[in-house]
Amino acid sequence: MAGQTDHSISIFSAAEVEFIAEDEMIEIVPNIRMDALNLLCGDFGPFVPQIPCTVPLWLAVALKKRGKCSIRTPDWMSVEKLTQVLEAERESPREFQPLPFHYVEISRLLLDHAHDDIPEVYMVRSLIEDIRNVRFHKVESGLETISGRTHAVKLKNLSAMEVNLVRPFMARVLQAFYKHDSPEMVQQADTSASKRPQVVDRGPRRDLRPR
Amino acid sequence: MPGYYDISDILMEDEAVSVAFHVGANGVGLLDPGTETNSVEKGAKIDLPFWLAHELCRRRAVSITIPSCFGQKMKKDVQADAACVDLGTRYPYFYEFGCKLFPLVGDKSIGLFLRHTFANRYKEMLSKSHTASLNAIPKFVLRLSKEEYQLFEAARSSMVEFKKWRVRDLGLMKTTIVGHKRKTDLH
Repeated sequence: MAGQTDHSISIFSAAEVEFIAEDEMIEIVPNIRMDALNLLCGDFGPFVPQIPCTVPLWLAVALKKRGKCSIRTPDWMSVEKLTQVLEAERESPREFQPLPFHYVEISRLLLDHAHDDIPEVYMVRSLIEDIRNVRFHKVESGLETISGRTHAVKLKNLSAMEVNLVRPFMARVLQAFYKHDSPEMVQQADTSASKRPQVVDRGPRRDLRPR
Repeated sequence: MPGYYDISDILMEDEAVSVAFHVGANGVGLLDPGTETNSVEKGAKIDLPFWLAHELCRRRAVSITIPSCFGQKMKKDVQADAACVDLGTRYPYFYEFGCKLFPLVGDKSIGLFLRHTFANRYKEMLSKSHTASLNAIPKFVLRLSKEEYQLFEAARSSMVEFKKWRVRDLGLMKTTIVGHKRKTDLH
């Protein structure tokens, strides 16, 4: 895992983020009859064939693997919605479009296991890839504007996996900039107020960066 | 004091700085290869490791002269092109050293200079580190100081791990159907 030598920056591995994403609820249409499941995280009602019900994603994938249900695609994963989102992403160079927090992981799980339940699966897959690329480029270009005065970088509507991707790098960069900038109070650095609002959201202060 | 157990701090403090003695010192003629007696004259210019110079400077026994890595030539190099300056082989502890040196030496511009260098190199590093693959080590990595290298490594390993996760238990590469690279012209 990245960053393991540096205890101050803890990160999740991608598989762990996926695990957390699997708690999201999703609609399925079972094709078997089963009694209600009483689990610690909730009760999932008796399964009657052809009656849709909502279950966590991990349960949906497990049932799907055994051929006991078919998964209904969430609304945001239709081709029209995704095309809209992609266009909007391309148009606004600073903002991110609202997308479900775990869209990367959910889409990957669904595309892997339930690709026969999704209409136009290739289109959906390529659209999501494109959206991901565009958003990541935005993240990168936003990071370029970090200067010494940045307390924190606010990225609105970023998804869990994207955050996890930049987290170690960004944390270290901010620490490095903070360390370099502390004695120089004379420097009036440019706060890029027009681009991204800066929110005070800082961890514990350190003078020297521990390694 | 720096982290006592930190290896990179220990290594960094081994850098040599040139100092001028304010007082004469007896019994440490070892430090100056030019003396005949076993002592150091007042006003002598000697190269000491930084940890020693730091302590002596605190006791006001020496004054440190700025080493060449923060001198005029370096400033000119950085102004020409910050990203090409080869910190990796020449001065791997450039930033840490500068930060330690800064309070001891009279020259206040070192701090600004460090920051300026770092900010310029950072922009260059940002794009390259995220797109670098696992095996290919781009040439510019060799030019990074230790601190920058850790940043680079953090970004690259998290990218690589993400890519591995995407193709895990599929056996096929997930590529977009549209083959060509779509340039995201947002600016």
